[in-house]
Amino acid sequence: MTLPCGVRNYNYAEDMAIVRTRTHWALLIGFLVLLFTTPLYFSNYWLSVFNLIGITLIAAIGLNILVGYCGQLSIGHAGFIAVGAYTSAILTNRLEMPFIVGFLAAGVVSGVVGIIFGLPSVRVKGFYLAITTIAAQFIIIWVINHWGITGGFLGIKVPLASIGGIVFSSEKSQFFLIITIAAICVFLAKNLARTKVGRAFIAIRDNDLAAEVMGVNLLYYKLIAFFIGCFFAGIAGSLLAHWIGFMNTEQFSFTESILYVGMIIIGGLGTSIGPIFGVVFIRILQQVLTMNLVPFLESTFTMFPSGFATGVTPMLFGLVIVLFLILEPRGLAHRWALFKSAYRLWPFSY
Amino acid sequence: MAELLQFVITGISVGMVYALIALGFALIWKSSSVANLALGQIVLISSWFTYSMLVQAELPLYIAFPLVIIFALFLGWVIERFALRPLIAQPILSLITVTLGIGYFIEGIVTFIWPLSVGALPRLFPKEVIHIGPAIISQEYLWVIGICLVVFILLTLFFRYHRLGIAMRATADDQMAVQACGIPVTRVFSTSWMFACTVAAIGGILISSIGGITQGLIETGLKSFSVVILGGLDSFIGCIVAGPIIGLAENLGGGYLTQYLWSGVKDIIPFVIIIIVMVIKPFGLFGEKRIERI
Repeated sequence: MTLPCGVRNYNYAEDMAIVRTRTHWALLIGFLVLLFTTPLYFSNYWLSVFNLIGITLIAAIGLNILVGYCGQLSIGHAGFIAVGAYTSAILTNRLEMPFIVGFLAAGVVSGVVGIIFGLPSVRVKGFYLAITTIAAQFIIIWVINHWGITGGFLGIKVPLASIGGIVFSSEKSQFFLIITIAAICVFLAKNLARTKVGRAFIAIRDNDLAAEVMGVNLLYYKLIAFFIGCFFAGIAGSLLAHWIGFMNTEQFSFTESILYVGMIIIGGLGTSIGPIFGVVFIRILQQVLTMNLVPFLESTFTMFPSGFATGVTPMLFGLVIVLFLILEPRGLAHRWALFKSAYRLWPFSY
Repeated sequence: MAELLQFVITGISVGMVYALIALGFALIWKSSSVANLALGQIVLISSWFTYSMLVQAELPLYIAFPLVIIFALFLGWVIERFALRPLIAQPILSLITVTLGIGYFIEGIVTFIWPLSVGALPRLFPKEVIHIGPAIISQEYLWVIGICLVVFILLTLFFRYHRLGIAMRATADDQMAVQACGIPVTRVFSTSWMFACTVAAIGGILISSIGGITQGLIETGLKSFSVVILGGLDSFIGCIVAGPIIGLAENLGGGYLTQYLWSGVKDIIPFVIIIIVMVIKPFGLFGEKRIERI
């Protein structure tokens, strides 16, 4: 950790502080002010994009804790988001519970499902675990599609979110709800990595046998990682459900799961800033591709059969994931770190 | 009784195809310990290519089939050369996600070139049904079983007697030693990818000649992972034994459990088997149990 020039630490609390100089505080507060006044500058269309980014970010943070910090590869994240979304939908629609109950229950139920499918992680890792989570994804989606209470293929309607009489009906009010929760999640995730649990995760990721020898309880911490990762996925799912207002399982496809892994890879695994970069990058790219490029291609190249341009989106995503893995495996977060250190030392090279 | 026999024959033949696709996985895993999660998409693209050759270009089978094989070999070479080789000696996480990215990319290409969502291959095998006892069985299934067996035997012979096959087995055993002996490891890797894609393509043609070409083929590829898991990741014998087991479980379960559970239970059985195997016997029936040291 490089310090800004002229900053010294006098005690442990100072050493551990995240925000340490006046400039940091100014930047942070400026950023937060900018973030929470976003509805003033952008149209509803862009606000909906930001809402999607916020929701995706919460889920991606969960996945980053699970994959980036704890090293347990999960390719079934969309499945766990679906669990959260449907838990919230069923509680608020069928049982008419308040939103906040559905929201928290979504996290807990999703976390518990995560623990169940994370149990094999005690004995296996790497590819085996990846396959298990893929299996989990398909089993979850199948159950949701066929269990009567979830509405199955027909889908289920979800009432609007409301807390204490305030109904989040417009895109703008939803934005405040989603971004507030996303900001809290970013803060929690940043701090989680610095606690005992976070350090245990990192130890398990780097070498699980060595961690076990040092006294890290593998079973306990791996399941905790699954719980936290899937808890985040669950609350993201709940927000998604109340934001869209209608759920069916097509929103939680296997390709969506791959995209989540892609996001945290592109952002940078095991960094707190990484998921933000990755999510913003992928979602904006997705928006530009589906809204601008695909219609453009469809209308320009009419000699091809219709529908061909929808293939461009997965093609580019796949290409971006592969290129990032080959050229910049540490992701955008690494570029950001390089930029920061260059900025600190400017105009001297070191 | 007739029903049971039908389920068994269908199950075994579908299972054999799963085993073929799984063999493609095991080949790569054995030589380079890369987990290829893009198998489903490779199956998909080679089936569509076959469709192009046979239906759109209307080539006869004896020209189209070699072209498909060449296409699959080329596909394997391209994937290995441009995506996997720069990642040699990277952590397993990157190796798995890179194949996911490749899969995604191939899926995009498939939509790009063949935007039709469904295609049907012409019937490759005679249509007449056969009566075995009380059961009526489509001849196709028996042909599929036969072709799969032939491919297995050819591959087994190749690995047993051919220089390259022996080199591939040696690479699987100990990369360092092989390199010291002067065997080009990278070439072995790319050969194994080419072989894997070819085997998967054959499996794809067989299964899509029966069931048509849909996006469901990706799921078929994923289902074949249950074969790999049950059989043990690095075992060919495991694939051949576990394939029919999965196929049987899928078809018998689909046939008899649907009335007790929800419909579509057939599609989920391989995934349930994956979870069960993971909990009980993670290294599969014939897999080598790796002992780790710090």
